Amino acid sequence: MEYLLVVALTFAIIVPTTYLFYNYSKESSQEITDAQVAQLGRSIVDAAESIFYSGKGSKTTLEMNIPDNIQSAVIIDGRELVFNMTTSFGVSEIVFFSSANLTTNGSCSANVCNIPGLANSGLKKVKIESVSTSSVRIEVI
Amino acid sequence: MRKKSQAALEFLTTYAWAFIVIAITIGSLYYFGVFDFSKYLPQKCVFPSQFKCLDFSLNPSEVKIKLANNLGEDIRVTSLQVTNDATSPISCQTTNPPFPFDWAHSTEKDITFASCSGGAYIAGERTELRIIMGYYAINTPSKPVHVINGKINGRVTS
Repeated sequence: MEYLLVVALTFAIIVPTTYLFYNYSKESSQEITDAQVAQLGRSIVDAAESIFYSGKGSKTTLEMNIPDNIQSAVIIDGRELVFNMTTSFGVSEIVFFSSANLTTNGSCSANVCNIPGLANSGLKKVKIESVSTSSVRIEVI
Repeated sequence: MRKKSQAALEFLTTYAWAFIVIAITIGSLYYFGVFDFSKYLPQKCVFPSQFKCLDFSLNPSEVKIKLANNLGEDIRVTSLQVTNDATSPISCQTTNPPFPFDWAHSTEKDITFASCSGGAYIAGERTELRIIMGYYAINTPSKPVHVINGKINGRVTS
């Protein structure tokens, strides 16, 4: 009987604690991914704008840590950098707007250009180069 | 021999009674919601940082959220939907402001979903709702619609 009481008391403490910590950590990881994507997109767009206004031939390389939850990264109309991010409650499109015209070396369909490599998680080097007086190219090297 | 078996039977009977009492106690505690640990979780509204959720309230048949447009661009909201994972999901008949509506950058918007029903949206109970919003940037030539998802986890006021 004493043994059963000890086991029951242990479970009574462990089960709710595990549940509460699991839920806290799930929401925290969501917020961390969101912050990472926001920082990633903002850095790319800021660098692209800076390189664009520095003139043709200017370039820079950024080292970025891409989180796991990124499904794809595309450029739309040369002004929207869009990350498709998976969350526990659906897929959200995180959009960053650039005043410089953005291009990439990836495949394009109509006005949507895919940035290969930017959707794979891990540490990546992103090259941002002003290729003409009107556009900045973003590529993962 | 008979005395030994009687002692064994009494011993087992005592244990059986103890088990029955424990089972009834646990059952009663479960019935009264003591094991509903979700009520100890904080009430939260989670959106991507580009649409920061500033406040929310869950009233019977009504969901209110206050969001900030941190995109740095003026947008037009084309769709707004509230749903959840229930077998028969929550459905709200009207939204205020009615979409499509324009939303200037760096401004806040109070959005109200009214006439909500279904989806186990019951006063006094904890609920988890998903908000799906479609929008496009007014200054982008092809006006591609982007979708964002947000989550509200809280208790419906009674």
